[in-house]
Amino acid sequence: MEKEEQITRKSFLGLAIWSIGGLISLGMGIPAIAYIIGPALNRTQAQEWIRLGPTSKIELNTPTLYKFTIQRKTGWIINEEEVSVYVLTGNGRDFIAMSNICTHLGCRVRWISDQEIFFCPCHNGVFDKEGVVVSGPPPRPLDRYELKVEADQLFILGG
Amino acid sequence: MAVKIGDWLDERLAWRQVWTVIFLRKIPKVNWLFTLGSASLFLAVNQIVTGILLTIYYVPTPDHAYDSVQYITTQVPAGWLIRGLHHWGASAMVVVVFLHMLRIIFHGAYKYPREVTWLTGVILLLVTIGFGFTGYLLPWDQKAYWATIVGTRIAGTPPVIGDWILLVIRGGEELSAVTLARFFGVHIWVLPTVLLIITLVHLYLVIRIGISAVPGRED
Repeated sequence: MEKEEQITRKSFLGLAIWSIGGLISLGMGIPAIAYIIGPALNRTQAQEWIRLGPTSKIELNTPTLYKFTIQRKTGWIINEEEVSVYVLTGNGRDFIAMSNICTHLGCRVRWISDQEIFFCPCHNGVFDKEGVVVSGPPPRPLDRYELKVEADQLFILGG
Repeated sequence: MAVKIGDWLDERLAWRQVWTVIFLRKIPKVNWLFTLGSASLFLAVNQIVTGILLTIYYVPTPDHAYDSVQYITTQVPAGWLIRGLHHWGASAMVVVVFLHMLRIIFHGAYKYPREVTWLTGVILLLVTIGFGFTGYLLPWDQKAYWATIVGTRIAGTPPVIGDWILLVIRGGEELSAVTLARFFGVHIWVLPTVLLIITLVHLYLVIRIGISAVPGRED
């Protein structure tokens, strides 16, 4: 250690400016990132049992449409949102509840009764009455809700 | 490695020359009052950064403005900080720009050959005040509403053209959704554009002509 590193007034001030500048940038940058991505990380509210309606409404072997509204808070706005669920039963005792959201890219499917298919108009996705993909681009069957029957009323777990 | 990249770029962009001209230029012996211009620039950058961030959530309509501001302040992570910096930075900027102007006046730094620098500086002061006036309405709370009722009335006081000015500023007879929307548009598009262009001219002149020294007894 013959030669000591000389810290001149100029180099010290230069270092100080860059350090302070860096600190300010960090102090601004980190909150900015949190600010931008924060609301995106907010998970939606907890799931709960939602009453669809009486089981007597349902026909055997054909998906029956049930609609209900839920309150959804997005940002500072509380919206009523209508949700559609298709319920299918073969024997009146065992039910499956399917979402009407196409598993391809999220358009809404509808039941076409004379062809016995669910059809998605966006990219011609076709599902059979149990939600299994028949043709088109959907990668997996229609999503199903957990379902229960209490006092002849259908409930699904959603939210 | 960094030096190599720097050399490679310098050969093509001559950035070191630009750097030298901007940051390593010769200046007379000055005091702390000469930092007010840089402080104004710093605050302007702060306002731009925080202002851009605020527009991510802010919505300039009467039915959403207040709620979106409350959302930013209470729900969004660091939203209170971003809004706080914009809010206090705005007041600080008006004060600092004004002090900057006073320094120029007291030092007589507006004289030949710096008249155009002074003129652009006056425009920048007016733009800053315009920012303050239009930004004040945007939270759409009671204070904002009534301050703008009063402010636009004051703008309407000149004889003959006063009524017309009042109508144009409000975008109608009443303070309304139209007023809020145009204040927002002016605040985030018109004034920033003017600020940017005039600031560049102002800085170009400061660098081109150089700054004046502290006047002595003989001046």
